[in-house]
Amino acid sequence: MGVDRRKAAVFGGAFVLRLLLLVLFPSLPDLLTGRVEVSTPVTSFKRLQEGLFLYTRNVSPYDGGVFHQAPLLLPIFSLLPSSQGFPLPTVVLYSLIDLLNANALITISESGWAVSGRSYSAIRKHIRWDGVTIAACFLFNPFTIATCLGRSTAVFTSAGILHAISSAVTGKAFNSMLALGFASYLSIYPALLFMPLMLLCYDQRAQTAQTFPSTTVFALQHLAVFLLSIAGLLGVSALLIGDFRAFLSATYGFQLLVPDLTPNVGLWWYFFIEIFDSFREFFLGVFWLHLASYMGGLTIRLRRQPLFVLSSLLGIFAVFKPYPSISDASLYFALLPLYRHLFPLMRYTFFAVSALLYATLLGPAFYHLWIYAGSGNANFFYAITLVWSLGLSILLADTIFAALRDEWEYDNPDVRGKDVKQV
Amino acid sequence: MTVRSLFSLLFLAAFASFASATSDYHESLVLQPLPQSALLASFNFQSNDSQESFDERHFRYFPRALGQILRHANTKELHLRFTTGRWDAESWGPRPWNGTKEGGTGVELWAWIDAVDDEAAFAKWITLTQSLSGLFCASLNFIDSTRTTRPVASFEPAGTHAALDNLHLLHGTLPGEVVCTENLTPFLKLLPCKGKAGVASLLDGHKLFDASWQSMSVDVRPICTETSDCVVQIDQSVDIVLDIDRSKRPRDNPIPRPVPNEQLVCDTSKPYHSDDTCYPLESTSEKAWGLSEVFGRSISGSCPLTEGSADGAVCLRVPHEREVHASPGAVEARKADGYTRCFTLESSTPFDLMIPEQQATAQVPLDEPVLRAERTIVGHGQERGGMRIIFDNPSATNAVDFIYFETLPWFLRPYVHTLQATITGRDGLRRQVPASQFIKETFYRPAIDRERGTQLELALSVPAASTVTLTYDFEKAILRYTEYPPDANRGFNVAPAVIKVGGEHPIYLRTTSLLLPLPTPDFSMPYNVIILTSTVIALAFGSIFNLLVRRFVTAEEASAMRAQTLKSRLGGKIVALRDKIRGKSKTE
Repeated sequence: MGVDRRKAAVFGGAFVLRLLLLVLFPSLPDLLTGRVEVSTPVTSFKRLQEGLFLYTRNVSPYDGGVFHQAPLLLPIFSLLPSSQGFPLPTVVLYSLIDLLNANALITISESGWAVSGRSYSAIRKHIRWDGVTIAACFLFNPFTIATCLGRSTAVFTSAGILHAISSAVTGKAFNSMLALGFASYLSIYPALLFMPLMLLCYDQRAQTAQTFPSTTVFALQHLAVFLLSIAGLLGVSALLIGDFRAFLSATYGFQLLVPDLTPNVGLWWYFFIEIFDSFREFFLGVFWLHLASYMGGLTIRLRRQPLFVLSSLLGIFAVFKPYPSISDASLYFALLPLYRHLFPLMRYTFFAVSALLYATLLGPAFYHLWIYAGSGNANFFYAITLVWSLGLSILLADTIFAALRDEWEYDNPDVRGKDVKQV
Repeated sequence: MTVRSLFSLLFLAAFASFASATSDYHESLVLQPLPQSALLASFNFQSNDSQESFDERHFRYFPRALGQILRHANTKELHLRFTTGRWDAESWGPRPWNGTKEGGTGVELWAWIDAVDDEAAFAKWITLTQSLSGLFCASLNFIDSTRTTRPVASFEPAGTHAALDNLHLLHGTLPGEVVCTENLTPFLKLLPCKGKAGVASLLDGHKLFDASWQSMSVDVRPICTETSDCVVQIDQSVDIVLDIDRSKRPRDNPIPRPVPNEQLVCDTSKPYHSDDTCYPLESTSEKAWGLSEVFGRSISGSCPLTEGSADGAVCLRVPHEREVHASPGAVEARKADGYTRCFTLESSTPFDLMIPEQQATAQVPLDEPVLRAERTIVGHGQERGGMRIIFDNPSATNAVDFIYFETLPWFLRPYVHTLQATITGRDGLRRQVPASQFIKETFYRPAIDRERGTQLELALSVPAASTVTLTYDFEKAILRYTEYPPDANRGFNVAPAVIKVGGEHPIYLRTTSLLLPLPTPDFSMPYNVIILTSTVIALAFGSIFNLLVRRFVTAEEASAMRAQTLKSRLGGKIVALRDKIRGKSKTE
């Protein structure tokens, strides 16, 4: 009962906070929508509005350079009243999705998969936060609030991913694959989460049923569900949008080839502004290969902790995907508190947190100096994105170190608490 | 003279008489003083060739170079404009030729091309722009797919075309093109008299491109009448607005100098008037000017190829009371409207006009423009901005209907959903109204990055005695560093909007071109950026994969391992040294 009351207080508080911010600062949503840290070309709410405007006037929204988001969003948003006249319904929708995400986080936390797996259990599993605290960390994270009020459509991708994970840990493997299919349909990169998610489903099945289904059959079944869900969504999109080819190249082609170099918090935009034309395609390939390479490495090495692999991959996406925003970072920071038991093993927490705070505070200032004041140049903002990426990748490497060490200590109980080296 | 040459001479004479039946050439110059010591000079050169001889490549007056290009590019109708400066409608009134012979700032080209489909038409269009680029020494070859549009309602073919189905209208602009002498020389070469005789002999690059506003046009169109055969007409015109004071300055001493003290007319009623303080009075008399003073040279007689033009070649629009001295030999004819007098030139006799200083007489009345339009970029910062278009209908009684056509470069991304309208009546009250109240029809083709620009055509109606303002937001894209011009921080030119008022005999208006500053990267450090980004990526990749591939040992085990390796390394070195020494001793 007490827990329920706490949960209600956190959820209610988060909801009221979002509405209060909207009421007190009516221009805040539009301001946040215009920020490059919040909105990227593939998630911008303003671009969605433009696509919606064209869609409702029977012009193909993909026959142009502005709209690059999934077509299913169009009928959903065309049901809502215009956000210019009535901003409230849209913000309510986004807040509710945030609450759903928080609920999924509570489910993930309470399942205990973060601290113990099928063939592994963390040494320090008594050091942990309960689900409501983790939900509160997510709901009251300024990055989450900014994303919610900025109405970035990355929120829908986050919802898909979190629900895929929460379904996986509760044994609903089918739902999990459907949710991942939805997330991949919205923004291609969650497809890279398929391997660890499938392993998580497998472990869950093996642990609860105490039967070991054939790995190949299990993998193929889930791959089929995943692919069919994407195919189904693409089929519905094809019905909505006549020109299927234009839609594919405007959405997935756009995310893969990165033609729009609008500044964001990631590493791609400035690199591809400055790269020599003859090397552009080569480095596009290298960057994508680099992003995909973590999936295999982490999944193999951390086979016994698939949920940790999922969280780390989300962190890696927040740094290395083509159009990252703070909403990706907020998703990573949402899953990080699940690993409270790893915090004592981390070595560079202070440095990573300072780098992230430094980048968060100076980023908007340096962007202003470059774009509005004219007293700085592009390198100012670029330097900040470097620091941001560096801070996040240090945090990532540090948590991976802690997870590996915890696993090692579980395997060798006699070495607990001793100094370690890697050779 | 041999029989053969006589025969050929006869043949030539016969051919000439045959050709003269279907081809002719006219030229004219209209001079009109405008308020604020401006002078509008409208040159027009028109020649016709029969379609038959054009098809058989017999060019009499039609320039061969241009004719071959048009045939090669399947172009049936061509309109080319070179414009600099701004027409000041507030003081100069409506535009010459109702704006039909002027272009937007820079170069504007539109043509009807005969082709089976859009792709073939575009291929021919590229051929046309490349060839015209060579002919006119202009950067027309830069009109690529991003600068080409296919207007739907803004332009109608001016000629008679048998089959309109296969004709494709393509329109391209180069708002940043600097029009100058190198474009004038090929323009004059197209004339039958090559600018050596006739009114074209006045055209001098130094004066022409020093004007407040100038527009050169080339129009080619086929004209068919029911009675006679078809002719291909080429119509070239040059319209300039010169500042008389500025043009009268001698070329070798062009710096303006203050009027000497003794020539100053002072307002003695001012309280501060004294010997060394003067408030100059506005001169009440109209200034003196002459053709040779303003243009730097006189007309070197009429072009001998002009035929039977009943009207004079040079017309001057000043009140009949105004005193005008023309060169002897020229025949003056006054028109009944009270403002126009025309002079017929004699061939090979120089012609000049002198208009002496005279006390102010009646002015030639200027009409009110049917519509005033202004387009500006609002907002600050290099990230986003807004476009504001103001339409002012000066008429107190009639609403004005028109087509508004604009093309935007792809790196300016408009958000049409933000299109808003306000209306201001003569009472000065501003009211926000839905844009659909004025916009009757919309044609919108959004841009695709690096492929095509935005095309927006609106059919608008502005009520009488009111000002309508349209605004929309846009975002500025950041480009790859090789896509910026060398002067990247100057900004990018946005082509002027074209406004077409009325249907049968349309009036065209063009807004000024706009300058759009884009965010710029640092051009000096591509290597640094590549290196720094790669370092961060390598750091993350290295540290994560380093963790993944190595195994854990305790610190003691690690030091033991290190000690072992150190010992074995040392041992290995000692052995190697020993072997070396032994080897040496053996060889000795």
